[in-house]
Amino acid sequence: MAVLGSSGQRSRSDRHPSRVRSAAVRRGVLAVLVVAALALLTISFRSPNSGVLHTVQGYGASALRPFQIAAERVARPFRDAYGYVDGLATAKSQNAKLRSEVQRWRAVANANLAAARQAEELKALLRYEEGPTYPKDYRTVNASVISFPSGPFAQQLTISAGSHAGIRLNTPVVSAGALVGHVTLVGPSTSQVTLLSDPDSAVPARDLGTGVSGVIRHGPRNTLFLDRVGKEQVVRKGDVIVTQGTVDRRYPDYFPYGIPIGQVTGVGTSDIASYLTVQVAPFAQLGSLDAVGALIANRPAPNLP
Amino acid sequence: MTVVDGLKAAALIFVAAILQVAVLTQIDVFGGAPDVLLVTLVAVALLRGTIMGAAGGFFGGLLVDTATLGKLGLSSLVLTIAGYWIGRYGETTGRDRAHAPFLSVAVVTILYSFGLLAVDFVLGERAPAGAMLRALLPSIALNLILTAPVYALVRRLLRPLEREDLATEVQLLG
Repeated sequence: MAVLGSSGQRSRSDRHPSRVRSAAVRRGVLAVLVVAALALLTISFRSPNSGVLHTVQGYGASALRPFQIAAERVARPFRDAYGYVDGLATAKSQNAKLRSEVQRWRAVANANLAAARQAEELKALLRYEEGPTYPKDYRTVNASVISFPSGPFAQQLTISAGSHAGIRLNTPVVSAGALVGHVTLVGPSTSQVTLLSDPDSAVPARDLGTGVSGVIRHGPRNTLFLDRVGKEQVVRKGDVIVTQGTVDRRYPDYFPYGIPIGQVTGVGTSDIASYLTVQVAPFAQLGSLDAVGALIANRPAPNLP
Repeated sequence: MTVVDGLKAAALIFVAAILQVAVLTQIDVFGGAPDVLLVTLVAVALLRGTIMGAAGGFFGGLLVDTATLGKLGLSSLVLTIAGYWIGRYGETTGRDRAHAPFLSVAVVTILYSFGLLAVDFVLGERAPAGAMLRALLPSIALNLILTAPVYALVRRLLRPLEREDLATEVQLLG
């Protein structure tokens, strides 16, 4: 019959030497690994964008990239199947919603045609000095998304292009013509993109309809809002929000003018608030990005103060 | 434990880490996501003990942080401690218990989430406890769903050790 322990107290010298050695080795291994992790963390935290460790990490990420791409390709049919089934489930309600949206957009498109014609005339008349425009001063580097936000805190993803492709820190990143975020970490062939939905993200933006300026920030539950819009300003539901671009040549902006960000879904205010609460629905599907484009400036990167 | 065992465990952790960063992080069920790396680590640690658990945690964390260009050492630190702790449980009270993998996965999912939150908080990074708490229950449920197949696969590759091979300080008499 097995007996777990006995009433007699075992002295320390009775313990089997191999077990004592085993415990020491075990604790030693743990201590070494924890110290190594803490050392890596300290170095990584102190110099996030430079140094040997950053370079090694960049090359490590490049080495892992083929495996990530392979895994993503293997999983793609399953994802597509899930998306198809999920799409069928929501198709009916979406259909009615999209029909009404098509009607609204058709009206907007007609209005835009007239506005575009008018804008051409106004530009010619006022010799409007345009800022940097996308096709003129920027080229696109297309990249696939190889890792996605890895938790409720993370709003960064990794893309399969880095400094070798010309990507630099703060390079704007778009998807299907809409702003997604900007580059916050660059490796040789991979880069980290911080999404608009990151709480630290702030993008100068303007209302295309009324010209009101503000800053696009992260709102609750992965929404965006246009911050710093005074109560006296006019912002309407349905207005399109685009990047502000450079306003003052002394303080150039990394984001060129006119990249669509999203559409105003609600405008509110309160007695105690200094600014309007302008909710914006992003055009880009920030939660399901497969491929993005990095906008590389043909001119030197601006130096922010 | 042999070199072959170590290589098998490393391969398992590698595949799990790649799957995690490339595929599973895209899944969002009520705010939670499955963590196949954590589940694989738990299985390896339960079957091979503390040293393999801690080393596997360190290696897996390093892979995740490298692949996502995250802060190196952050995941390694938390996963090393988790691997060691589960390995210890597997060597002692959790040995031969059918519920051990499920209990371990549930507990480690909670501790891992709080561990990351604590490290982020200490480092002055963003640490939204509310978001973590909302995602916790769905994450536990998804990880528990993964536990049975992942543990079965790992057990097939890493046969359970004999009792004499396990490092233990709890001596069974009789």
